[in-house]
Amino acid sequence: MEKEVLLEVKDLRTYFYTEDGVVRAVDGVSFTIHKGEVLGLVGESGCGKSVTSLSIMRLVDAPGKIVGGQIIFKGEDLLKKSEEEMRKIRGSEIAMIFQEPMTALNPVYTIGDQIMEAILTHQDVNEEEAKKQTIKLLDLVGIPDPKKRFNEYPHEMSGGMRQRAMIAMAISCNPDLLISDEATTALDVTIQAQILELMKDLQRKIGMAILFITHDLALVAEMTDSVAVTYTGKIVEYSDVRSIFKNPHHPYTYGLLESIPSLLSEKTKEPLPAIEGMVPSPYRMPKGCHFNPRCPFATDICRKEMPELKEVEPNHLVRCFHPVNVKEEVS
Amino acid sequence: MRNYLIRRSLELIPVLFAIAFVSFWLVSKMGDPFAVLVLNPHVRPEDIQRLRHIWHWDDPLVVRFWYWLKDFVWPRQGWGLSTLAPGQTALQLISRRIPVTIAFSSTSLIAAIILSIPLGVYSALRQYSVADYILTFFAFFGMSMPTFWFGIMLIYLFAVKLHWFPAAGYHRAFFIIKGVPVMFDKAPRWMQFLDEAWHLTLPITVLTVFQVGGWLRYMRSSMLEVKSMDYVRTARAKGLPERTVIYKHAFRNAVIPIITLIGLSFPGLIGGAMITETVFAIDGIGRLTYNAVMSQDVFVAMALIMIFSILVVIGNFLADIFYAVADPRIRYS
Ligand SMILES: Nc1ncnc2c1ncn2[C@@H]1O[C@H](COP(=O)(O)OP(=O)(O)OP(=O)(O)O)[C@@H](O)[C@H]1O
Ligand code: SF4
Ligand SMILES: [Mg+2]
Repeated sequence: MEKEVLLEVKDLRTYFYTEDGVVRAVDGVSFTIHKGEVLGLVGESGCGKSVTSLSIMRLVDAPGKIVGGQIIFKGEDLLKKSEEEMRKIRGSEIAMIFQEPMTALNPVYTIGDQIMEAILTHQDVNEEEAKKQTIKLLDLVGIPDPKKRFNEYPHEMSGGMRQRAMIAMAISCNPDLLISDEATTALDVTIQAQILELMKDLQRKIGMAILFITHDLALVAEMTDSVAVTYTGKIVEYSDVRSIFKNPHHPYTYGLLESIPSLLSEKTKEPLPAIEGMVPSPYRMPKGCHFNPRCPFATDICRKEMPELKEVEPNHLVRCFHPVNVKEEVS
Repeated sequence: MRNYLIRRSLELIPVLFAIAFVSFWLVSKMGDPFAVLVLNPHVRPEDIQRLRHIWHWDDPLVVRFWYWLKDFVWPRQGWGLSTLAPGQTALQLISRRIPVTIAFSSTSLIAAIILSIPLGVYSALRQYSVADYILTFFAFFGMSMPTFWFGIMLIYLFAVKLHWFPAAGYHRAFFIIKGVPVMFDKAPRWMQFLDEAWHLTLPITVLTVFQVGGWLRYMRSSMLEVKSMDYVRTARAKGLPERTVIYKHAFRNAVIPIITLIGLSFPGLIGGAMITETVFAIDGIGRLTYNAVMSQDVFVAMALIMIFSILVVIGNFLADIFYAVADPRIRYS
């Protein structure tokens, strides 16, 4: 049975018009998230993950501009909505958690005040009721002594606690979609595991979908149903999570998996090619496939043309002229 | 909060004491205040010696400092030489002159705050708009113009040419009420007030323009900086109306550094008052300072320096309190 589609991003293009030229931060990205599903968006720094998520929220600041595509959320194109309609969706139907819990909370207001604010904005409740709900939320996200914490300022809490508070704020209005933009990157490993556990738990309880942004493929394996790997503002590989780990086809994905050898090395039995070099400067994109200067499999055509995103297996899309096939190599 | 206040107040005492000593030492380098008497044929050298002794001028610096401090806190009569009338203490003289200075400097301080903060926010919210450029132009104009020159220009235009405002003084000597001259002090309170306001309009304008420029620019850049902070984005992502995002989340953070800046501007305000009073011939403590220093009146100069120091220290103290109220991170550190 087909699941109900919640969000469908079609050919999204968000460009930054800077003094030095146009930065195509998001350049033709398409993906689909079903109700209650978790999609991982993976890629190195600067590949347009944050800009994609901000585009969905319609929070891209100048000089950035969404120049093309559609963002269909519950059957309606968000790009056609007025600012006022968008405002009603933000925080209530689509919520977001950011990477830095240190800076994402306002230092001059209490945690309770900031969470309550979201409730008061979107729900028809009085302050007393909002406060009660907030304390319940703080409890739900595992903050001990929520009544006392309600009146505390961000600087009085640890990073992990602050991120829990951010999560409480994000889920305060039962959103259908939660965008988590590297929400655990800034935390140390044990806290990171706790926060991920909390997110998974809440996702099951509330049944919300998550757009899970990270540059760490290992987290994707634990968290998500499907994965989109991005490189220089384009999706290079897109499939369900099992397929991508079993059989990564794009050399870039292959390289990213390098960082988690346990998942692959037993299959290949040989050292994986590490990705050398860096993400190219947005002002000087290489001709052809953007990955060609770093790709061990690059040929002449890669340096001339940009490959299309094509289906190499059922529901497994890859943007590459010479997709790797791990299965074949092993056998 | 209460402990913070008490702690901060106690900290003021050693600060004031240190300021007093350092400035006493500096003022004592101004020269011998009794030297002028040598030129007076009616004063015998023995009398000068005696005066020196009475005023402890022949004692070591620390001893003199002690006596001076004592005299400052419990003034004794007739201790001045040139600026003071016989039997008048420096504090008495200062307390007569200080109200007008406080009146126009605090008015211009408040006016500058009321103008610069909203204009700075406006400028930031409409960055690179025509309004922003115009405000920027006036801000730089205000900042770069010397106070005395601007004062003279205002006098030339509004007093000499247009006759809208008086050129000097801070009140008239008498009013004519129903054909009868009435001395200023005897006139009704509201007439006194209006007359003073009319006289002080130009000096207040000069001092205000001088402050507004810098604060406006500072508020603008502070607001621009805060606008791109993560927590402002969080506020937007919550779906808050833009007004709440700006005035609740951005503004309160942006205004915090301005509070410090305003607190630090107190010495500048006094310096500005000195120049303005001289240009507009207002008998406040600014002009008194100028005269005291020029006539080597050590006792009055020293008392004035102490008054200024106290004002500056109180200014910073108030700024710290406002700062602590605005920024919850301070109270606990
Ligand atoms: N305000 C801006 N002005 C100009 N270019 C920008 C701006 N914001 C983002 N970009 C460009 O957009 C591209 C994508 O940035 P984005 O923040 O989405 O990367 P990311 O994948 O989220 O990286 P990270 O892992 O570091 O968060 C980058 O190349 C960046 O240079
Ligand atoms: S298209 Fe060519 S250069 Fe690009 S990833 Fe595939 S093999 Fe490498
Ligand atoms: Mg990012």
